[in-house]
Amino acid sequence: MTELFSNLALGFSVALNLTNLMYCFIGVFLGTLIGVLPGIGPVATIAMLLPITFNLPPTPALIMLAGIYYGASYGGSTTAILVNLPGESSSVVTCIDGYQMGRQGRAGPALAISAIGSFFAGTVGTVLIALFGPPLAELAFEFGAAEYFSMMALGLVSAVVLAHGSLIKAVCMILVGLLLGIVGTDVNSGMARYSFGISELSDGIGFVSVAMGMFGFGEIIANLEQGIQREVNTSKVGSLMPSWTDLKMSFGPIMRGTALGTIFGLLPGSHTVIAAFSSYTLEKKLTKDPSRFGKGAIEGVAGPESANNAAAQTSFIPLLTLGIPTGAVMALMVGAMTIQGIAPGPQVMTQKPDLFWGMIASMWVGNLMLVILNLPLIGMWVQFLKIPYRLLYPGIILFCCIGAFSVNNSPAEVYLAAMFGFFGYFSNKWGCEPGPLLLGFVLGPLMEENLRRAMLISRGDATVFFTRPISAGMLIVAIFLLLIIVVPQVRKKREEVAYESAD
Amino acid sequence: MLIRSAAVLSFSLLVSNAPVLAQTANYPAKPIRIVVAYTPAGTTDILARTIGQKLTEAWGQSVIIDNRPGANGNIGTEYAAKATADGYTLLMVTAGTHGINPGLYRKLGFDAVKDFAPVSLVAMVPNIFVVNNAVPAKDLKEFIAYAKNNQGKLNYGSPGNGSTAHLSMELFKTMTGLQMLHIPYKGSAGVLADLIGGQIVLTMDNMPPYVPQVKAGKIRALAVSTTRRSPAVPEVPTVAEAGVAGYDSGAWFGLVAPANTPKDIVNKLSRETARILKLPDVSARLADLGAEPVGGTPEQFSAHMKAEIAKWAKVIKDASVELQ
Repeated sequence: MTELFSNLALGFSVALNLTNLMYCFIGVFLGTLIGVLPGIGPVATIAMLLPITFNLPPTPALIMLAGIYYGASYGGSTTAILVNLPGESSSVVTCIDGYQMGRQGRAGPALAISAIGSFFAGTVGTVLIALFGPPLAELAFEFGAAEYFSMMALGLVSAVVLAHGSLIKAVCMILVGLLLGIVGTDVNSGMARYSFGISELSDGIGFVSVAMGMFGFGEIIANLEQGIQREVNTSKVGSLMPSWTDLKMSFGPIMRGTALGTIFGLLPGSHTVIAAFSSYTLEKKLTKDPSRFGKGAIEGVAGPESANNAAAQTSFIPLLTLGIPTGAVMALMVGAMTIQGIAPGPQVMTQKPDLFWGMIASMWVGNLMLVILNLPLIGMWVQFLKIPYRLLYPGIILFCCIGAFSVNNSPAEVYLAAMFGFFGYFSNKWGCEPGPLLLGFVLGPLMEENLRRAMLISRGDATVFFTRPISAGMLIVAIFLLLIIVVPQVRKKREEVAYESAD
Repeated sequence: MLIRSAAVLSFSLLVSNAPVLAQTANYPAKPIRIVVAYTPAGTTDILARTIGQKLTEAWGQSVIIDNRPGANGNIGTEYAAKATADGYTLLMVTAGTHGINPGLYRKLGFDAVKDFAPVSLVAMVPNIFVVNNAVPAKDLKEFIAYAKNNQGKLNYGSPGNGSTAHLSMELFKTMTGLQMLHIPYKGSAGVLADLIGGQIVLTMDNMPPYVPQVKAGKIRALAVSTTRRSPAVPEVPTVAEAGVAGYDSGAWFGLVAPANTPKDIVNKLSRETARILKLPDVSARLADLGAEPVGGTPEQFSAHMKAEIAKWAKVIKDASVELQ
């Protein structure tokens, strides 16, 4: 314990050094900014700033880059709530209820609760890294292909819960998402599928293009269709801060979201998006009145926002303690460390304690800065809604296009986003929600990859999914969940049939 | 008539040559762009940025790194092949785009030899042969014996179909007569995690992410794939030394320009690259990547590239690996 305190003391002495504080601020400020701008994600930003870090000492450089990442997951919820546009891939879920809150004039409380939830999650994440970083990271080694497959299966079943409308439509959207996820090079055989010889499609369809098209563009087209009659949600901007009831209702979701996010962040290859989706599903299952979800339930903002920020924090654990990056941003951090002459691996903690503990302390400092930075900004963001829509939407489209282009420096992503915009518009018309589609799109390829890898390793023996305890446990939960979803529906049908025949 | 057309011809030649000559004399007169067909912060990207930074310092022109990732490097490579051949667009190529891919893909949007003017080989990065700690073998000879007793049962990982890790192991398999199953991943991070976790038994992947794990005792290194030992792990023998005579593979990186780039510009770039690669801070940065600086003339690089394409085409054919 004394060791922990001396480590934290070292960490804070590094993090509170004036230069490091400044770079931390630059990082979280830039992060918030790019989080707010739709489509421009931390990957593109960190990539652009990498050359600058060439000439910086390692600690401030990494503190700044880390700040961009978790800052972006803070800022991403802003446009999701205000204009139904996920600023960051992880805020897709926030669109569902956050935007509805905004339409009811409750954008202020939605923004505030997402900042508070994120801060709480960030604090817990930081404490966890400090206390249990190394043993937690070892968890990743317990997860093989079979476990990942079962986890994804569980996620997919729970995706059905996401829908607040028709169950059939939700299942259809998941299937369309799965099919879209198949596009691209098959990991196992190396064959290109549904790429039609277009090399831009050989790596699959980008998440940003789909999310931006389905949510952002689709929404804009639908709004423009309504012409002048389009509701102006600013006319009824209520209180900026959440009420006491709001806070009480959000407490549980923030706690559970933080716990879920913490676990998902640790696992290589999983996504902050999955963490947010799971939290949403869980909250919807736990609440007394699920019908409020999708219509502006504050739990649907508090939970997922806490989950994605917790995941953003804990995803640093495998990188810092083991040298294993869990996603695209962490892979960039590996590059940044390499440029600085630090080989990411188990030795970083012992050989560079000032860097390791300094980064951890700076994350907490950064989270504090973010909440201080973001709470007063809420008033300004809400004012933003007063801009007439005819002036607002071209700007949104412009930033979306820049964002889509910046993913791979390729115009193909912009065309794709435009195509998904029309698709999003029509699915909106048909009452099909984009949420389940996106989850299918994210989980599908991961699920297939791990299913086939598990089967390759087991030489075609499908029992591996049940002989490995973690995998079996998750599959049992998935089957159980499926039963609670399906049985009431079947029973209802049967009662209807019985009623009709008796009639 | 004949004389006149000859005169016109020579005149037009003179005219078309004039700006080229002027270009060459004051090259570079504007910013240079280096296309990188991979994502930022990867080895290819860091090498390009390192060279770019030194070119800027020497010539006072900024060097822009243009990342065009996708399709195993083919998108960016095709893009650079079609760029104007004026010396202001260069491309950082790899053992993938200019060694393996020509033999791997039936249809490519570029010709690795005809569409490019080689400038200089930049660096070589050995692959490292690492095994999970549960493997009883202490060296490569023992491993080969162990694998012979477990024919077809061992799984090896690679960061993807057609990667140097995949084909290096296929080459190893053909040379030793071993049978091991290929488990492809998306990138080295997955391979590393599953290797430590014991989901797979071995890999022969690009060195950098594995060295810290070897030093921490999480996995064991049995060999390096190149013909010379690597300064990053001097105690680890080469595959050839450890019993598979003649074995040689590994990743390499080089600088090319689009074909028809003026010869003088290519030579100037080549000489400058060779000078940069000798700088001590550059070698230090390359050492962090597990890379050894090479340098050399365009002719040497051209010969190297052709030899690599032929070598990998044979490995791909022998192991019947084919994509698309």
